[in-house]
Amino acid sequence: MPIELLKSLRLHKDKLWSLDCSKGLMATASSDRKIKLVNLQNLDFKLVEELDDSTHKKSVRSVSFRPNSSILAAGSFDSTISIWGKDDSDPLDNPETDLLAIIEGHENEVKGVAWSHSGEFLASCSRDKSVWIWEADELGEEYECLSVLQEHSQDVKHVVWHPNMNLLASSSYDDTIRLWKEDADDWECAAVLNGHEGTVWCSDFEKSEASLRLVSCSDDATVRVWKYVEEGEDGEDIWTLDAILPNIHSRAVYSVNWSSHGYIASAGSDGILAVYKEVEQGNWEVVAQQNEAHSVFEVNMVKWTRVGDKDLILTGGDDGFANVWCFTP
Amino acid sequence: MSEFINENPDILDESLLPSRLEDKNDAIWDKNLNVGNLQRRLHLLNIHQTTDCKVYRNIELVDKLLSQRTASNNLHTPDLTDAETEESEYEEAEDPIDAQEIYDMIAHISDPEHPLTLGQLAVVNLSDIEVREKCDKTKISEVVVKITPTITHCSLATLIGLGIRVRLERSLPSRYRINILLKEGSHQSENQVNKQLNDKERVAAACENDQLLGVVSKMLSTCK
Repeated sequence: MPIELLKSLRLHKDKLWSLDCSKGLMATASSDRKIKLVNLQNLDFKLVEELDDSTHKKSVRSVSFRPNSSILAAGSFDSTISIWGKDDSDPLDNPETDLLAIIEGHENEVKGVAWSHSGEFLASCSRDKSVWIWEADELGEEYECLSVLQEHSQDVKHVVWHPNMNLLASSSYDDTIRLWKEDADDWECAAVLNGHEGTVWCSDFEKSEASLRLVSCSDDATVRVWKYVEEGEDGEDIWTLDAILPNIHSRAVYSVNWSSHGYIASAGSDGILAVYKEVEQGNWEVVAQQNEAHSVFEVNMVKWTRVGDKDLILTGGDDGFANVWCFTP
Repeated sequence: MSEFINENPDILDESLLPSRLEDKNDAIWDKNLNVGNLQRRLHLLNIHQTTDCKVYRNIELVDKLLSQRTASNNLHTPDLTDAETEESEYEEAEDPIDAQEIYDMIAHISDPEHPLTLGQLAVVNLSDIEVREKCDKTKISEVVVKITPTITHCSLATLIGLGIRVRLERSLPSRYRINILLKEGSHQSENQVNKQLNDKERVAAACENDQLLGVVSKMLSTCK
């Protein structure tokens, strides 16, 4: 079996909704309103810090590290986004993270936050059906709203940026994915991806520079790959369905993540963690499957990371655990 | 509520609602207090005090247990060791859950606008409950409850569904995936309501809304 459980971390008293990692640190967010930081370096897996839990009045739904920095954004059901940072000189095993800013603007539950590749922009999405794009200063303390995108007809569940372009994908309860790009001073919808037959919970871009693709997962229990074709005559980008991944899941798929080596991992309500490999263009096979990845609980999040020479898969579940899996191709 | 959405619902007599002839709960709640039952209650009490058990969240049950404590004070019961506690929990986990048990959990939920229960209003019916149980307790099992609103444009269908979901999430072990659906053709916005009731994120957010939770708690206060 190419997936092996390295460590199971009991971090939260309630659902673990989201996790992210940067510079050897993992951050986790939970319905227990807490954000925790775990040291991943040297496969240490020690809880190093618990952020001030009086900051958010409701569940913390989403966390995202600013690339190449220790600045963390956290979106909460209390409709605010908190921004956290520490001195880069702080030792990893004993950081002192401070609250840098609280961003208000959304009418109700913030469901997703994500930083652009350069760290210049922060995107957020909410049950209020909108996606907001914020411009951040270098210190991560000042935020200016550049655009409020309101084309989704229902809750927006998740936002994710392309790894090296200013291209944003948003997933929604309206069963679609929308792609957004910068146009002169504003942001505009570049494409709408239709096809899922249920809420789209999450999407992620391919990490390759050679092709532009997106993977998405849905309440309809499918995982789909979409491909950019060309710019259309009306200025909208043309995307097409590239593949539907093998039907492993029997219930809603809550999270997908595309690794830098080209593997896709998915996880969801059925407790299954699956890894897919593209054996030829548009043809994917399951190379690893872990049932009951969080015993009988639902899995909300899956994320690839690399520590030392190991490819790790991090998962978070309703049991409040973060599980660390080692993947060997 | 000043204006009823459905003024004249059909009402079933409580005595005609489906029930198990010998409810296994009787062993615990039965009026005939005997030493065995009291011991059993004390065991439960101890389990509740020593573990962060899911059932603990059911305040009503805990209250009942606490009230029984006075009655059982004069009985000597040795403290449970960890091993025994585990054993008791294990025994409980062994009981398979069937449709009648699910029905008993939700039939006594109050309707948000009538002084009647969902069982009496035939919003929940035994024949519309399905349990897809895996024998292996380490695997995920499924419960499907189909509800029949009293009228097809009932604006409270979502609230009723939420009440049922909250009740089942609090009462059932974590291995059960709960699916709440409107019975086919029972509501004009069937798909919309179904989607909302089965969206874990929306349900989680609803449960953090104090006002909504207050209404749900009131509905659940009549549960036995």
